[in-house]
Amino acid sequence: MDAKGIDEAFSTRMSPDEPGRTNPRAPAGPIDGRALKQSTMLYDITLRITYRYEVPVSGGRHVIRAMPLSIPGRQRLIAGSLTATPLPDERYDRQDFFGNAVTGLLLRKTHEKLVLRMQSRVVVESQTETVDLSPPLALLGADLDAVWSMTADSPHHFLGTSPRLGEDAAIAAYAREGVEADMSVLQIARRLCSAIHTDFTYDPKATTVDSTPRDAFKIKRGVCQDFAHVMIVALRALGIPAGYVSGFLRTLPPPGKERLEGADAMHAWVRVWCGPTLGWIELDPTNDMAAGSDHIVVAYGRDYSDVAPVIGVLKSYGSHETHQAVDVIPVKIGG
Amino acid sequence: MSDPMTPKASPHATDAPPPADSALAGGKASAKAAQTAFPAAAAGAGAAKPGPAAAGGKPAEKPVAAKLDPGADYKSLPGIADEMMDTTGAVRPVWRPLLAALGRMDEAELANRFARADRYLRDAGVFYRAYGSTENSERAWPLSYIPILIADNEWQVLSRGIVQRAELLERMAADLYGENRLVAEGFLPPSLVAGNPEFLRPMVGIPPADGHYLHFCSFEIGRGPDGNWWVLSDRTEAPSGAGFALENRVATARAFSDIYAETHVHRLASFFGSFRETLQAGKRHPDDRIAVLTPGVANETYFEHAYIARYLGFMLLEGEDLTVVEGKVMVRTVAGLKPVGVLWRRLDSVFADPLELNQRSHIGTPGILEALRDQTVTFVNALGTGILETRALLAFMPRICRHLLGEELLLPSIATWWCGQQPERQHVAAELEKMVIGPAYSTRPFFDDNGQSVLGASLRDTAKASIAEWLASDGVKLVGQEVVKLSTTPAWVNGKLIPRPMSLRVYAARTRDGWQVMPGGFGRISSGEDAAAITMQAGGSAADVWIVSDKPVERISLLPPEESFIRTMPGSLPSRAADNLFWLGRYIERAEGALRILRAWHGRYAESADSSMPLLKMFTDYLAAVDIDTRQPVPDSLMANIDSALFSASNIRDRFSADGWLALNDLSKTVRMFQAHVQAGDDATHAMTVLLRKLAGFAGLVHENMYRFTGWRFLSIGRYLERGMHMTRLLGHMSEPDVPDGTLDMLLEIGDSVMTHRRRYNVNTVQLTVTDLLALDPLNPRSILYQLNEIRAQVEELPEAYTKGHMSPVYREAMRLHSGLAVTTTEAVDRALYTRLENDLERFSGILAQTYLN
Repeated sequence: MDAKGIDEAFSTRMSPDEPGRTNPRAPAGPIDGRALKQSTMLYDITLRITYRYEVPVSGGRHVIRAMPLSIPGRQRLIAGSLTATPLPDERYDRQDFFGNAVTGLLLRKTHEKLVLRMQSRVVVESQTETVDLSPPLALLGADLDAVWSMTADSPHHFLGTSPRLGEDAAIAAYAREGVEADMSVLQIARRLCSAIHTDFTYDPKATTVDSTPRDAFKIKRGVCQDFAHVMIVALRALGIPAGYVSGFLRTLPPPGKERLEGADAMHAWVRVWCGPTLGWIELDPTNDMAAGSDHIVVAYGRDYSDVAPVIGVLKSYGSHETHQAVDVIPVKIGG
Repeated sequence: MSDPMTPKASPHATDAPPPADSALAGGKASAKAAQTAFPAAAAGAGAAKPGPAAAGGKPAEKPVAAKLDPGADYKSLPGIADEMMDTTGAVRPVWRPLLAALGRMDEAELANRFARADRYLRDAGVFYRAYGSTENSERAWPLSYIPILIADNEWQVLSRGIVQRAELLERMAADLYGENRLVAEGFLPPSLVAGNPEFLRPMVGIPPADGHYLHFCSFEIGRGPDGNWWVLSDRTEAPSGAGFALENRVATARAFSDIYAETHVHRLASFFGSFRETLQAGKRHPDDRIAVLTPGVANETYFEHAYIARYLGFMLLEGEDLTVVEGKVMVRTVAGLKPVGVLWRRLDSVFADPLELNQRSHIGTPGILEALRDQTVTFVNALGTGILETRALLAFMPRICRHLLGEELLLPSIATWWCGQQPERQHVAAELEKMVIGPAYSTRPFFDDNGQSVLGASLRDTAKASIAEWLASDGVKLVGQEVVKLSTTPAWVNGKLIPRPMSLRVYAARTRDGWQVMPGGFGRISSGEDAAAITMQAGGSAADVWIVSDKPVERISLLPPEESFIRTMPGSLPSRAADNLFWLGRYIERAEGALRILRAWHGRYAESADSSMPLLKMFTDYLAAVDIDTRQPVPDSLMANIDSALFSASNIRDRFSADGWLALNDLSKTVRMFQAHVQAGDDATHAMTVLLRKLAGFAGLVHENMYRFTGWRFLSIGRYLERGMHMTRLLGHMSEPDVPDGTLDMLLEIGDSVMTHRRRYNVNTVQLTVTDLLALDPLNPRSILYQLNEIRAQVEELPEAYTKGHMSPVYREAMRLHSGLAVTTTEAVDRALYTRLENDLERFSGILAQTYLN
């Protein structure tokens, strides 16, 4: 399909940011795969992404998904802004199919450096412990058949394959290990979440942003993106709808150390459809826990391709460097 | 055409009973396709009107008994409908004049007529691309010369079904990308939409600028054993073949010009004329351009894209020609950005925008979805409409048709059961022998889907057992379709007519007066008795389709009537096209430069057979510096130059005459042939002479036939620039005082100036006279100064070369180059000047590219 002219110019897909690659494990609470009662939290979150180009570029277009969502009962965006330096020539803000906030930018003038900066204040509600009201796996199919909907939350979007996630026999076999006929969907999902946490080693050097779940599964290494992808493929292989969540995670400094500025990173976890009563439940395989009030949601999608923080296309003759800095600062509520 | 591979499974069962009854019709997924309101075709002997249908006064009913007697032992196959013979074995009236005419010919005449068709196709550059295991190659277009004839009255009935179906698909697209009530209200299972790779979520909620999702559709149809037509698949994404249908028509009409003239065959031009009007009406502003958007030269139907663009007079663009400025699609042209209002898309939807659709696409336009949101551009058809081609949808269309249109589906689909639900699954498993099972999301007909479908009857018993399991575990992804035996039509094989399975691709276009059906189509004929061999990749052939009326037909040409004649200048030249023309000029001239030196070299080598003699050694070194290896009689780099020229030309087929294209192809073939056997010395000298003559032939075609507008200027500038650089480099290299004997004479020969030199200078060849003639003579078409003068003259005519009394940087540079050399005296020319000039020319090329070609 791809025909190149004589023209030497080529387009570079800017490799989008690599969530979690700078930040191994998160807060390390005493949480063994169960959601605990947590208090309502208020955060100031900043994200700064810097691109430096070897050769000055122009005409770059970027689609950005970095602003936390407002989700009734889960979290609320109080204020937020997204800015770019240099100032873009064109800009639009809208929502995508899944309801995520999208900003589009066009930078026509030549520049050597691009800085994207997101600032926001978000309230995250306390999460009560989940009572398992999910159906046994064998009955999930009937529940799915009863959903005649194509809205963004419809579980039907999150089955089968998606742009980055094909079927994989090895991961499917892994998913089936230890699954008993009478286990509930949530039980199965929690089991998988724990299994991935146990079986996989966090290793930012082992994979890249373009790695497939199969790559990561073979070596049992990777980062949050890989763990989330593997878990989604595994759940879908069992017929359980599963999606990708991109967001921020509050992290704690090592004991006795000061918190370093910009030390946090973007994070990724999984959401699982547990039948019509329970609905969507978010699980974090990187930390083997349910997503709680330390997890701030930015975007929902089928896989990474739906929620990549930055998708950029520009004509370039050289390479570029990316740097990402994230701060998730808890703000005291009411003293 | 999209026939990349041979299906492995034959879709034929031994028997083809009518589709199963509607016991399952209560469910959401049932396909009962047979007993519909669609009337039987004019199949029975009594159904068609007897007598000569269209004989133009000729005694058509006379028994066929002439030299060839082509129909004598033609027998339709048992249990299969035939286009020419009815069930009683009688020739259908509509075929009689053609058959009678064939009967009056002898073999030689017929061969002559077929050759006429082939010659037309060859000359027009129609070919198809065969995909081999190692190499893709262009093959001659396989025309089955005998057209497929269909009676007008039958066609009218079929057309009503096609129009209804196009409208139904439009309504389905509007729902799927709008409110999605078909799913919510239970007419379509959600998984069929949500799990469909053709369902493009970013397009949900973006209404098309002109209110329509579909403007041009095609339908693959076949006739079943009962004589009824069936839709095998719907094509809405980027339907191909309409351009080939036009070419099939022209070629077939060449072969049978007399018969075509006497038969009342519906013409195709008015269909395309009406569609062109629709596209023009789709513009939002008078200044908006209309373009055909192609994935590029590597696409298997690129020829057709170029052909359609040229035929309708639209620009042919690729994704990188376009950019989006403030929500408006613009084309990059040599005169700046120009707005585009309508894009007839031959590019698959997912590749259209790497920002929001397939992120790996290199052939799309970043940001084009923004323009769609702003409703500033109309896509024909809308992005995402490929979902309508989904095979499993066929199972749901009868019910959706009743729901959306309040009518029965007139034209039935091939009986289809989606295996995502229990009753359908059981039915497919039970009737496995009559079924072909394939992917639910497939957008291709089962006989043309890269072998993804499995024929139930072809399976062993053990495999059949596992099929049931397969259906149970993967049912959502599978459909069962009842195998139908396609009808046969006569093909000319080994001197007689033989019945061969066929399918038709028919076309519907949205016009001001609603959907219009092309009165004809693209016929595909199998190379054997098996419909699996219907695709071209499997050896199938193409046939013209004649819709024959018993009354005279309207004849419309695409040319406008005389009173509406307006002279318009050609539209702005896209920068990429200008770039390709510029480089075509450069590559052609580079090849010529190399040929001239090589000819002179081999001429001298032939006398001495000693490549180490100082003169030859010096030129060998020079050639090596420009990557030409004299140890090869026909060097690889020469071949590479001509291939590059051909590639540049192939990118702009829409701007090229068929003659020019053929000349260039011929050149390439000849070089390849020479490369295989030509020996150094005399043999090579002769070969170079032949190649130079062919190159001159191409140049002549360009010079004589190309319209003197912007495109031609870029081609010319490319040639002059390359020739100027070539001569500058050569003279610079040979300008030392102690060059070997014979160098100057060889330079004159390379510069084609031996005679002129003899006439103009009454002295022997000396450095000064050679410099004077080859560098500074303004009248010698091979001199450097001549090239600079021509470049200056061409650049002056380019857009914005000279505005408000100011010269553009390109024009100023062209002026500077020319006047600098024009005032130089022969004595002042030295190696340093050549070096400087060579650098200046390189720089000029850069400025030109920056200004116009980016």
